[in-house]
Amino acid sequence: MEINGITIDNTFAEAFNMRATRVIITAINPTWARNAALAMTGFATSVIGCGVEAGIERELSTDETPDGRPGISVLLFAMGSKVLMQQLETRMGQCILTCPTAAAFAGIESEDMISLGRHLRYFGDGYQISKVIGGKRYWRIPIMEGEFLTEETTGMVRAIGGGNFLVLGKSQAQVLAACEAAIEAMKQVPNVIMPFPGGIVRSGSKVGSKYPKMFASTNDAFCPTLKGLVKSELDDETQCVMEIVVNGLTFDDIKTAMKAGLEAACRLGSGAGISRISAGNYGGKLGPHHFKLHEILK
Amino acid sequence: MSALLFELKKQPEDRLDLRVLTPDKLKGLSLAEIASLRLGSGQHAPQVADYFDISGENNGFIIFDGDCSRCDYIGASMKSGTIICHGNVGDRLADNMRRGLILVDGDAGNYAASRMIAGTVGIYGKVGDHLGYMMKRGTILLTQTPKLHATMVDCGQHQLGFLPLLLRSFATLETRFKTLQTQPVHKYAGDVGVNGKSEILLFSQT
Repeated sequence: MEINGITIDNTFAEAFNMRATRVIITAINPTWARNAALAMTGFATSVIGCGVEAGIERELSTDETPDGRPGISVLLFAMGSKVLMQQLETRMGQCILTCPTAAAFAGIESEDMISLGRHLRYFGDGYQISKVIGGKRYWRIPIMEGEFLTEETTGMVRAIGGGNFLVLGKSQAQVLAACEAAIEAMKQVPNVIMPFPGGIVRSGSKVGSKYPKMFASTNDAFCPTLKGLVKSELDDETQCVMEIVVNGLTFDDIKTAMKAGLEAACRLGSGAGISRISAGNYGGKLGPHHFKLHEILK
Repeated sequence: MSALLFELKKQPEDRLDLRVLTPDKLKGLSLAEIASLRLGSGQHAPQVADYFDISGENNGFIIFDGDCSRCDYIGASMKSGTIICHGNVGDRLADNMRRGLILVDGDAGNYAASRMIAGTVGIYGKVGDHLGYMMKRGTILLTQTPKLHATMVDCGQHQLGFLPLLLRSFATLETRFKTLQTQPVHKYAGDVGVNGKSEILLFSQT
């Protein structure tokens, strides 16, 4: 398949089952809501080293938030429920509780409700106040700034992580520009996040390593500086490869986001230095969800 | 919103004890069964139907209509649901209340929210003496400055983040509390005489 002179590989992205939750963060103004959200979703690019993959889903207007203040919804994904619960509590305590004017609310309903502020309330040292409003329990924790408000629980749902595609091109600047265009389009899609810095990852990995203790290492087949040294996937003209990883609440959410991103990148065409689009997989044996590029773009 | 409506037919000669008329205690009862409940102890205690016209749906939401200033113990020991009083209420409103919401559009008598354990009580009008006496937890919303006993302490003016949520939850209720605006409120806490950590939040009248 070829779009605007860009070759689309007949391959697929391989994705995995995850657990996810959504938290709505509000604050006195959008800047402080963003500060809280950035802290909460910081160091959350990959479950390999961070425990969770998290990101900002979108900004919320004052009429979309429970307390009528500006807000941001964030999504957090983990490989299991236990890790997700641990990470959520840690990040609530270190990032939201500490952030001036921030409050946290459940962003998703589910049969599986996990702690948002249920344990954090003990920070109040006995002065915490519970309030049930509209059937939901909130905790008010006295702090130096005033009162920290958090809902007691938020929902945990089954989700998918690891949707991806690779953008191959002639230069770093051109590949980055195409990925930036893709990310801008993907940000408009609800229920997904792109957890890497700016949504883009430059250091895709393969499973295993020559070093026994490493379970992942650089994806040498796509490293332009290793052309000639390894069994390279790259042609002579390809000098840069970047990847976009996308996690979503459902298969269709990821598919929609990938389509938006792929189309935005392809819109630039081969004239913008983009030669090829591919995707990362493990032969289809590890992840149950396969996102076939040709099907997505047909 | 459908509710169980108690309309006061006549002013009682003696004070009435309405502690039996809470959503949790009335759960599952038919209107006829509710009408035959006795208000107070003893075989000569009046029945609900002697003083109230009862209508509506028994669904955890109770409305008292009329001047109930001679009706005591409204919402006493309440464990769930919502009570709205469109007029005045008597003494011991929400005594020993554990959970739920009570909103009074009129005045309340003495010992309102006494021994309260938790929940939310709003009194739009004036309150009598000994508000929150021996109160442990819970929230009292007021629009008029109360006369507080010495074991209620002044915590100052505050902007509280939960208030917009609480006030929004009143939007569907026919009560004067719908008109309250979020703003700095004056907070009092107590009853420190019983190591209580309840709060009295005084709104500037809007």
